[in-house]
Formats: sequence, structure tokens, C-alpha cells
Amino acid sequence: MNVIETENLSKSYGKGSTKVDALKDVTLSIGQGEFVAVVGASGSGKSTLLHMLGGLDRPTSGRVMIDGENLYELKEKERAVFRRRKIGFIFQSYNLIPVLSVEENIRLPLLLDHREPDKAYVNDLIRTLGLDERRKHLPSELSGGQQQRVAIGRALAYRPAIVLADEPTGNLDTANGREVLELLKLAVRRFHQTVIVITHDMNIASEADRVLRLQDGRLIADTRGGMRP
Amino acid sequence: MKGYGFLAGRYLKQQRRRSILTVLGILMSVALISALGTMGQALKDNVLLQQIDENGSFHFGYSKPAPDLYRKLEDSALIDKVGAVRTGAGTPLGPNDTVFVQEVNEDALEIMPIHLASGSLPGSPDEVAAEEWIVPRLPGKPKLGDEVTLTAPNGKPHAYRLVGILRNDRSSQISRSAKAVTLMADADPARSEDASGHVQLFATFKKGVDISSRLAEFAKLGDPFITNGRVLALMGESQDNGLNRTLNVIFGTLVGLVVLSTIAVIYNAFHISVLERIRQFGLLRTIGATPRQIRNLVLREATMLALIGIPLGLAIGWGGLWLTLWLMIQGGFRILQMDDFRLTFHWWIMGLSVGVSIASIYLAAWLPARKASRVSPVEATKGAGSIVRESYRRLRIPSLLGLLGVEGRMAANNIRRNRTKFRITTFSIVISVMLFIVFHYFTQQAFDMTVDRTENDKIAFTIAQTIVKVRSEDGKTPADRVSDIVSPGTMDRIAKLPGVDAAYGRYEMPSSTAIVPESVVNPDFSRKMKFHFTEVNFQGTQAQQISAVLQLYDEARLAKAEQWLESGTADPAELAAEDGVLIVQTVKPYNPDSKKRELLPLTRYKVGDRLTLQFGESASEPSTARQVKIAGILSQSPFDSAYQPDALYVIGTKSTMAKLLQAVPAEKRPMGTALMGVDVALKDGADAQPVREVLEQIAADIPGGQLINVVDRQKEERQFAVQMKIFVYGFLAIIGLIGSLNIVNTVQTNLLLRRREFGLLQAVGMTMGQIRKMATAEGVWFGVIGGFWGLLLGTALSWFLFSQLSRVQGIPFDFPWSGAAIASAYALGVGLLSVQGPLRRMAKANLIEELREDA
Repeated sequence: MNVIETENLSKSYGKGSTKVDALKDVTLSIGQGEFVAVVGASGSGKSTLLHMLGGLDRPTSGRVMIDGENLYELKEKERAVFRRRKIGFIFQSYNLIPVLSVEENIRLPLLLDHREPDKAYVNDLIRTLGLDERRKHLPSELSGGQQQRVAIGRALAYRPAIVLADEPTGNLDTANGREVLELLKLAVRRFHQTVIVITHDMNIASEADRVLRLQDGRLIADTRGGMRP
Repeated sequence: MKGYGFLAGRYLKQQRRRSILTVLGILMSVALISALGTMGQALKDNVLLQQIDENGSFHFGYSKPAPDLYRKLEDSALIDKVGAVRTGAGTPLGPNDTVFVQEVNEDALEIMPIHLASGSLPGSPDEVAAEEWIVPRLPGKPKLGDEVTLTAPNGKPHAYRLVGILRNDRSSQISRSAKAVTLMADADPARSEDASGHVQLFATFKKGVDISSRLAEFAKLGDPFITNGRVLALMGESQDNGLNRTLNVIFGTLVGLVVLSTIAVIYNAFHISVLERIRQFGLLRTIGATPRQIRNLVLREATMLALIGIPLGLAIGWGGLWLTLWLMIQGGFRILQMDDFRLTFHWWIMGLSVGVSIASIYLAAWLPARKASRVSPVEATKGAGSIVRESYRRLRIPSLLGLLGVEGRMAANNIRRNRTKFRITTFSIVISVMLFIVFHYFTQQAFDMTVDRTENDKIAFTIAQTIVKVRSEDGKTPADRVSDIVSPGTMDRIAKLPGVDAAYGRYEMPSSTAIVPESVVNPDFSRKMKFHFTEVNFQGTQAQQISAVLQLYDEARLAKAEQWLESGTADPAELAAEDGVLIVQTVKPYNPDSKKRELLPLTRYKVGDRLTLQFGESASEPSTARQVKIAGILSQSPFDSAYQPDALYVIGTKSTMAKLLQAVPAEKRPMGTALMGVDVALKDGADAQPVREVLEQIAADIPGGQLINVVDRQKEERQFAVQMKIFVYGFLAIIGLIGSLNIVNTVQTNLLLRRREFGLLQAVGMTMGQIRKMATAEGVWFGVIGGFWGLLLGTALSWFLFSQLSRVQGIPFDFPWSGAAIASAYALGVGLLSVQGPLRRMAKANLIEELREDA
């Protein structure tokens, strides 16, 4: 069953002579539980694709269907709520709220929904992420790897169907990067989530179920079963 | 922990410094608005009370009522109180004084200006209360409780018991006819069998009656019909509602300005805090916060700040006023008005202040909140704390800052790089400068208009002498027969009494006219006032004959004249040496076209000009004319009324005047230059009692001498002025603070937001010194631009206020130089100083660190 489908997805910035096509006619579908890596040179449109899939930015043309729902037919508010419940984001620069503790950062998506979090699940998540000792700490008191784990925790807090990660290991050393990758893979297995990772790291790409390669905004390769460097 | 709302509190806590600054801004604005409102109302209440104090609280009256009118008024459903006053025969006391007993009914005791100083008001027709100054002269020198026989209004003697002493009235002392009141025996004054004497009726409307619309129907009931015009005007009940409207416009403008600056402070604070958190808002959006949730988050922050700032502001505004009053009372100020200031707590002012503050806070937070809600989630994915991307606008005109080298050029570019930020920073400074100029201007004008007009306001006692027998039957009493009322030694003794500021001599000068050459007369005067002076030909010169008010000033008076000196000298020795005079040529006539009194020069004399004074009947007769040299020009008269309506005010020393008087026939200058009286001015806060005792002694030794005592009234007036000054400067200080807070907030955050950029500049080789120079240039330039516009708008608004003020009283528009100078210096100073703090902090931190990716 396909969780994500895109049809002729295009995005361009600017007008006239300064027009840049970041994404051109990308059509793809991703099934549930897939671990997908997106690779490509800088400026090839990886991040733009991820933003489109997560409903962060509007495509110029084409559409994105998530769980059978056209993401860009939703109103701004509905899309925000949709994102809150269905999609988890992880960024290269961890993007934690500096004034909230580890636990609060993880629970934030639930809090936005005024929902009492499933305590057992959140505790399980925090333990799995190895952050049990750091619950009450502020992001500034954590190492980079720990911060990224908090970000993963936040992305998984709502048990979203899809996790979108933009170079999650880009700022981390090899050991920490490895750890983050393992956690993401664990998530796919344990919660049957779909994970899409943008990466420059060929090690990550090699472990993915599927690798999408972008060049100049076009999808030029879609390899299943991992990719050798 | 449920919901995301707690985030607002966390953010405020994290940005503690700015939160505190913002709360301070709100607090001071609320304090200022509520205090301004309270003061405005108190001022109005005060003026009203003062008028009621002087004229009584009655609304209208009849000086010759028909016999049945009292009944009619009593029966009217609209009328609250009907006061009846019967006046008639008086009791002569000694050669000069008379006391008039007035019979009044109980209502009249309330609504007429009858003020008890001690004892009690008369409770029966056999009790009497008399003015303080006359009590010792009453037959038998009665004490409170003693019997005294006085002539009743019906002309028959009546034995009264003295139960009360009334406050002195200046006019009754001068006319030497004292007032005493007793209770009217008959319930209906008109029906009294013993109806001799003259009855007047005074009435007040019931509460809630629309006075102005009902007045006409009562006017028909009797003629002459009297209204208590000034009191009604202050109550907002007169046809001519100018004063009320003017007060409202002025206080409205001031409150409006304070509100604007509040909005600027809060907008600034929120705008900057939102800009700083763009990425975090983006992040909240990626994890599913709706725009509305983010907007509410910002508005919630505003609410929290308002919840802290507004109650504190109200408390401080009210508490500050109260404390100031309390301190003044502790400092020896004890006046009638004070109590009234303390009592005027108006809930509506507090409510309105809260309403206005809340509205301005939300108005100010709304735009930043909307901006935050519109942050695109994509922002979150951009590099952390990125060098803010802004739509940079190239300058068309090279800025003056370019002269400062590369740092200056960069500063010029930095200032213009973000139009919104530029506008909001400039706006803050403009508002602050404007507020200061306008407030400064307004208060100065208000002072000029209401208080401390002349040195007369400080005079508490006057020793005077009633000259009954100056002229003998044959009219030949030589002038030199009149001698000084007191010796120079006594004058000196009075001046040196503890608590006495000065003792001024009073002299009587004959009337005179000035022969003013055509070219020196201001033609505007005749044109505007439709008033023509007599044309004369004096020794071949075409001239106009203008009244001259001659005044002999002793050294004490001349010393006070100094402060109004526009040009020349007021030195007594110099004046005497060259027979020089001081003149006031500014007059304040009534302009029939604009229907107000207008200030303008009557003549255009300059220091050194010669002034021809004519003392004779014939204007062109040289033998009765004298010439004096104009040694100095004063902007207003130092004593008595500040301006004449259409006459020159000529001041000379004793020797000069003595020479001038030789031109006057002896019978027309009976007093010569003899000292006729002594005015005694007290120092601020001095105890009047010991001075009064000494002066009474001196006055008692003078035949026909008496002491006119206005110390209480004078003290009240003067302290009211001091009090106003304290309040006004308090307000000015707070306004300055709000303004600086605003500027500091904007300029500082402008810099702090660019830490990364400064890091980058250091990385490419800019020294901290250069960065400092650049940032300082930015701060100062903001001060220059803001100061310029503030000056322009401030002057314009001052002019508007002036046009409002001049409805009440014609005054010339003075450019608000002092306010402008202070405000400009202040804008520059704050601009310069506000960048130093963040720069110092940046110099300590390693800015290159900022370049590193941070969370």
C-alpha cells in the first residue's frame, strides 16, 4: 500500500530571468514501512522534495497524496494539523525549542493538540532514545548527538506514519551518526513507519530499502534494495 | 502540563531582560496615562473649587427678586437650594472701617462664598460670624462667644453673640467694609413683615438637571438675572464651553502621545522578539502548529506582560501621585487644594487607563503576532541564526555617514537595509522626541498662563494708610506735607525679618501720557484693535499721544524686574545716574475681531531712545513735558498686572521720578515721592505668623494705618504653582524614561540580532574598534534622523496645542527652543549610549563562535 504518491510535482522559485526550477515533474510513490534515502548533489532539489512531501511549502504544480489525501487541497490550518499527526520532521540542525526541556520538546506536538500524551509510550520512547537521564535538561545542556535524538523523539512522539529527515547525521560524528541511523531503522521496524532520509552519507544510502537520486530537480534514478557506492 | 500555552511564559522568562524592559514600558505608560488623567481631572476640579471658593457654588441668582420669587423657586422641582441674602445698613467702626451684617438663610451659608476660619457659622438670628481683620475693631473687642451690638440690615441695632470668624477677603480689606453674617430670622425672606433691607436670591439646580437648557426659563423670572458664569463654565454647563474643550483637547493630545509611545515600545519589543524567533516559529509550524496557535502564542505573551504591567502601572501612577502629595504635605505644604488633589480618585479614569493600555498593547502586539503566524515552516530548515536575509535597498543619495570612511558607509547601508526596522526605530525616536517637545512646550505655556505671572503673587501683606486729610479745604496742602508711611530703617527691618523675601515700597504717581513719534508706534496695534490715539504735533514731530503708567520702583522692586529684562539694564545706580527708565511696551488689548486678548508690542522703542512724557493738559506744551532715557526694556510688568491693555508702563527710580514730578503742578502731585505703603513678600514655606505680628505692630503705630493680610490666599496660589511644577517635571522625567527605553530597546536589539554578522565581519578582518565605530555611527545617525523628524512634528504639534490654548487667552507662539534642544541632545545621547552596552558585551564574547552552527 502506498503511503506517499506524487504526481508531476514541480516547484520553481523567482520569476523571469531569475527563475529557478528546484523540482521538475517528479512522480513517485512510496509504500508503508519503506526506508528511503534521497541523494543528489547540492541544489539538486532534495530538500525541496522533502518540504513538498511534508506539506511545508506549496508546489508550483502537481500534487502530493498522503494516505490518499491531497495535501495541498487542505487548508493551511488543516495541513498544520495533518502535519502534526501524520508527519515527523528531523533536521540537520536539531531545531529544538531552547526554552523547553528534553521531555517537553518531545511532547510538544501532542501539546499543540491539547492532548494528554500516552505516558507509557513517551517514556518508552525516551528510554529507547537513551535520554532517560536527561529528561529535565535544556537543549543547550546536551551534546549534538543527544540533541538529534531529542529531535527524533519529537518526530516520533505522535507515532506519525511518515518521518522526514533532512541530513539528520550531517552535524554528527560517525559514532553518533551511526546511532541516529540505527534509531531511525528501529522506528521503521518497530512502529512500521515510513522514513525518508536526505543524505550525503553513502553508508546510510547503502542501508536504505530504496534510493532516490535527484539531479537538477529531476528524479534520475530509483534504486531498490540499497545502493553500492 | 496541558496545551502549548506555557511556552509563552517560557519565552518571556528566557528573554528576561527584554520582558522586564517591556513591562517597564507598559508600567510607565499606564502610570503616566492614569496620572495624567487624574491630574487633568484634579486640575479641573481644582479650578472649579477655587472658583466656588471665590464666588460660591450657586448657579444663578436675582439681585432684585419679586416678593413671590422665593416661594416659586422653593417649589420648583428643578431647584435644590435657594439662598437668600439680606443686606442693608452697616456699622461704622472708627474713622475708616464699616462692618455690614448680612442676614442669610441656611442654604445661602452653603452656596455663597462664606468661609469659616474658626468658630462656627451662625446658628440663630442672634449669632454672628465676622471677617477676621475686623474682629479686633468691633466695639468692645469681643472674643469668640462674647456679645457684640451691631447694626442689623434693617438699620436697628441688634445684640449678637460672636460665634465664628470668617476668612479675610482682600477686596473687603481694601474697601474697608467688612462682612459679617447672621442667620435670617424669617423662613420666607420676601414675606417678612420687617422687609427693610435689600434681599437677593441665589439658587442651585438639583443634581442631574441639564443646567444650560434650563437656565433660560429661570432667566425670565426676574431681572436682573445673575449667573455664576465661571463656575458654570467649569462645570461644562455654560454656553461657551471653550475652556472645557481646550482642556480636553490638550489632555487628549498628551494622552494620545503617551499611547503612541506605548505602542511604539511594545511593538518594538514584540517585533524584535518575533524576528529573533522566526526559526523557532518555523519549527513549530513544521511539527504542526497552526498559524492561529502561533499568533495566540505571541498574543499570550502580550497578555502576560499586560497582566503584570497594567496593575503595577495603575498602582505606581496613583501611588506616585499620592506619594508626591504626601511628601509635599510633609514638606510643609498645607493648602486647601492639596486635600482636593488627594480626594479625586476617579474610577472612570482608572478604567479608561486600563482600557486604553490594553487596547494599545494588543494593537502593538498584533502585527508582530501576525508576522509570526505567517512564518513559513521552511524557515526552520534554514541554517541556524542565519545572517538575516533582508531586502536590501541601495541608497540613491549618498549618506553623510560616508564621510566617516568605510565604517560610516557600512553604517549607512545597515541603517537602510531593512525598511521596517528602520521605520520602527525612527518612529520610536520621533515619538519620544515629539512627546518631550510637546510636553515641555505645553507645560511652559500652561505655567505662563496660570501661575507666577508677577511678583505680586508672592506678596502676603500690605501695610497701607488711609489718607483722609491730604488736601485741606483750600486745596493748598503742600505735597511735602505727606511723609513716608514708615522710615527707611523700618523698611529695612521688615525686609530682614526671618521668612520675608522682600519689602517693596508703594508710591502714588500722577497720570501721564507719552508723546510717541509716528515712526515708533506699532501700526499693527491701531489696525487690529480699531483704536486710534490722539495725533499731536510736538515740537515739529508728528506724534501720537499714548497713556503712560508711571511707577516708582525702589531697589527691591528693581531687583525683581531684572528677570524680565529683554535688553538694557535694571541696575538702580545706573538708572538714577542717567535718569533712565525701564519700559514695558508689550500690551495685551482685547481684539474685537478674534474676540480674545492678544499680546503685541505697542511701540518699538529701543534701549537708548529718548521717551517724551507729557504731564500737562496740552499735549504739545513743552513746559510740562519731560524727556527721559530708556535704559531698559522689560517683557512684562514685574508687579501688578503683567500687561496694560493700551498704555506704556514706565518705571523709574525715586530720583528720576522726583525730577519728572517737577513738571506737574503741585496740586496734582499731593503725594510726591512719599512712601505710601509697603508690600511684603514671603519666602516659600515661611511661617507667616511671626511676620504678621511684627507688621501688625508697625501698622498700629501709623495713623490710619492697617495691615492687609492675604497670606492665606497667596500661599495657596503659590503652593499650587509649585505643586504643578513638581507634577509636570515628574511627568517629563517619566516621558524621557519611556522614550529612552524605547530607543535603547530598538537600537540594542538591532545590534544583538546581528551578532553572527559581526562575527563574520571579524572573520574577514574587521577589528572590534571598527565595528564599534560602525555601530556607534548607526546609533547616532538614528538619533539624528529621529531627532530631525521629531523636531519637525513636535513643533507642529506644539503649534496645534498653542492654537488650542490661544482660544482661552491670546498668547504669541514661542518656538519651543529649550524643549527642542533638550530633546535633540537627548536623542543623540541615547542613540550614542545605547549601542555601548551590547558592544561591550560583544567585545568580551568571541564573535567567531557565533558563526558556528548552533541550536
